[in-house]
Amino acid sequence: MGNGNELEALLRPPATEMPQYPPKVITLASGEQMVVRQIDREEVPILLEAIAPLIWVERDFYDIVAARFFAELLAFKRYRVRDEYCLVGLIDGVLAGMVNGRMVNKDIGMSYHTLTIRRGLRVGSHLFAAKMEYYLEYLKQKEVLIVAESPIGFRRWMIEYPLQKKYEVQHELGGVPSWVLTRETYFAAKPRLVSGRRPVPPELLKKAEAIILPEEETVKAQVLGQKEVGS
Amino acid sequence: MEEKVCGVRCKACGKESYPAHAICPGCGGDDFEQFEIAGEGKILTYTDVYALPLDYVQRYLRLAIVELDSGVRATGQLLDDDPKIGKRVKTIIGIVRQSGDRKIHGLQFVPV
Amino acid sequence: MRGVAIIGCAMTKFGRSDLSLMELMGESSLGALRDADLGDRPVDAVYVANMGAARLNKQTAIASALVDRLNLFPAMAEAVENGPASGASAFKNGFQAVASEMADIVLVTGGERMREVNNLEVTDFVASLSHPEAEYIYGVTLPALAGMFARLYMDRYGVTAEHLAMVAIKNQENALKNPYAHIQQEITMEGILHAPEAVVNNPLIADPLRLYDCCPVSDGAASLVLCPLEMAQQMGKQIVKVTGLGQATDTHAVHERPDPTQLTAVRLAAQKAFAMAGLTPKEIDLAELHDAFTILEIAQSEEAGFFKKGEGHLALEKGITSLSGELPINPSGGLKARGHPVGATGVAQLVELVWQLRGEAGKRQVEGAKNAFACNFGGFGNNVVATVLKRED
Repeated sequence: MGNGNELEALLRPPATEMPQYPPKVITLASGEQMVVRQIDREEVPILLEAIAPLIWVERDFYDIVAARFFAELLAFKRYRVRDEYCLVGLIDGVLAGMVNGRMVNKDIGMSYHTLTIRRGLRVGSHLFAAKMEYYLEYLKQKEVLIVAESPIGFRRWMIEYPLQKKYEVQHELGGVPSWVLTRETYFAAKPRLVSGRRPVPPELLKKAEAIILPEEETVKAQVLGQKEVGS
Repeated sequence: MEEKVCGVRCKACGKESYPAHAICPGCGGDDFEQFEIAGEGKILTYTDVYALPLDYVQRYLRLAIVELDSGVRATGQLLDDDPKIGKRVKTIIGIVRQSGDRKIHGLQFVPV
Repeated sequence: MRGVAIIGCAMTKFGRSDLSLMELMGESSLGALRDADLGDRPVDAVYVANMGAARLNKQTAIASALVDRLNLFPAMAEAVENGPASGASAFKNGFQAVASEMADIVLVTGGERMREVNNLEVTDFVASLSHPEAEYIYGVTLPALAGMFARLYMDRYGVTAEHLAMVAIKNQENALKNPYAHIQQEITMEGILHAPEAVVNNPLIADPLRLYDCCPVSDGAASLVLCPLEMAQQMGKQIVKVTGLGQATDTHAVHERPDPTQLTAVRLAAQKAFAMAGLTPKEIDLAELHDAFTILEIAQSEEAGFFKKGEGHLALEKGITSLSGELPINPSGGLKARGHPVGATGVAQLVELVWQLRGEAGKRQVEGAKNAFACNFGGFGNNVVATVLKRED
């Protein structure tokens, strides 16, 4: 066969031009400022390091979410998934949570995961909303397909937005019957579910340039609710 | 299927109570007749409840305590887009909860 | 009736626990027994406070189970269920046993393991204390009753969302000084109310009450050891005496109360407790009130007699009820931040009072505390137990 580059090209999905997610900053209940921004491929290794220990935490479905997110990030880094993105939430540069997904085509988004590390401050809610904001306002898609591993967590979004059933579509996360967030529902829900300020003040943006990891023991302890930093 | 909500009226002193008690809060009597909780009244207070138990799949539930013109008070679901303390409402009966297959009827309040 | 003293106390950290209900209660019981340092003296009676064991943990007869776990045979034992006031009710039963000379040494343990089930089931479980036909079937939950109460209170007395937020901020700040507290997180007025993001940070739970107006769902246990005053004196203990105890009930359905902004059972229970103690509210140095919802701290501070009706929020504004104020309320962090394992709370309130009176409250110590008050609020205020404790030198 031909040279290595041609082989590689066979196995890489085509890439769509995806506009960057413009960073924003959110005031959390604690008064802390969380910067939400997109990551690039070079930052994947540090996120893998953060997630890896959670692959063994059964509680709240962290194990399966962490395992899948780990694989999705690796695939993103190594160009083996089509049009994937990942957004992170950083508090003083320290990783608080992350969300990801991809574009199926120009109209349809496929939401993957939401993983919260700093619990008790609605980081997950903020980041999930940021993900929807990215799909519907910046990628200008028509709808986003959503499922989740944790039933109680998912029920909240299902009712809050609300999401609609689109059971005829199998979601990429295990073929589970999909739910969907439409443009119409998103814009109606936006005032109460999406927040944050742009542009991010320069000094905050500078602090968010490099991702700092919380210590493994802190991450695990927080996730397990031992060193509970919130309800 | 209960299509009306009832309180009790003491046969000795006439005091109307809802919910029913075994002993009349007015005179201590224990002989009652039923009467229907129905009619017009005013909203005493209300709330929109978001954290709902499993039987409910809506985003929120609007509840109120209403004081009927007869003086009897009741708690029920408020079907009013613009609630205010003191606003006039009237009672209807509707499905207020669905537990599995069981449809439970109860008091709802609508604007007059 | 002879005098009763508290000679031992302990609690587990409140929060999310992997331990079972019995393990939690065992831990706090052993802690309190060790603290009491009884030597050879046997425990005569055990009272267990709990609301949900049968439903959430699928276990009954838990007082007998605790006796077995602690090897306290053949002690008398009973579980006491009084909804969220189970803790103080079990304590009252223990007090009565000692005061009546039916028992000398009594162990009181309150415990709850709520996170055995998901939040929706917990909400439904707590809602089961409401009136089945007149409230529960409508989807009434405890937050719903508190929300309706709060709306009326705010309308009538001018309490604002800021006042409610002040209670939450104060209690979460106090809890940072309490290693046993569930919530260890500072919050700010900006973050929970004023910033545009507050609508996501602090969503509505039962309008006008928001997330930070409501206590969390917690696991945990707390214990006390009681004995006759004379025995405590003979043992050379620092004396914490039970000087006042009162209880009162009110209508089940909240709508049947003549004035739904009044917490009559709080007022009557507190009056009885103060009368028994021979004290007025002015002589109280600190209070643990039942802030399952922030509005309740304000309302109870008035009904208990510390402030005039409708002026509790003014005292809060002035900082009177902060840790450094004249009358610190909920120095432990209260239910809001210490957490609320339902059966354990009433006992945990008293554990805090004992620590404060002994001078063992660490960074949240109220200096010179001599007389302390607790209010444990059952149902939505239809069964309230109030207690006064005193340090005797």
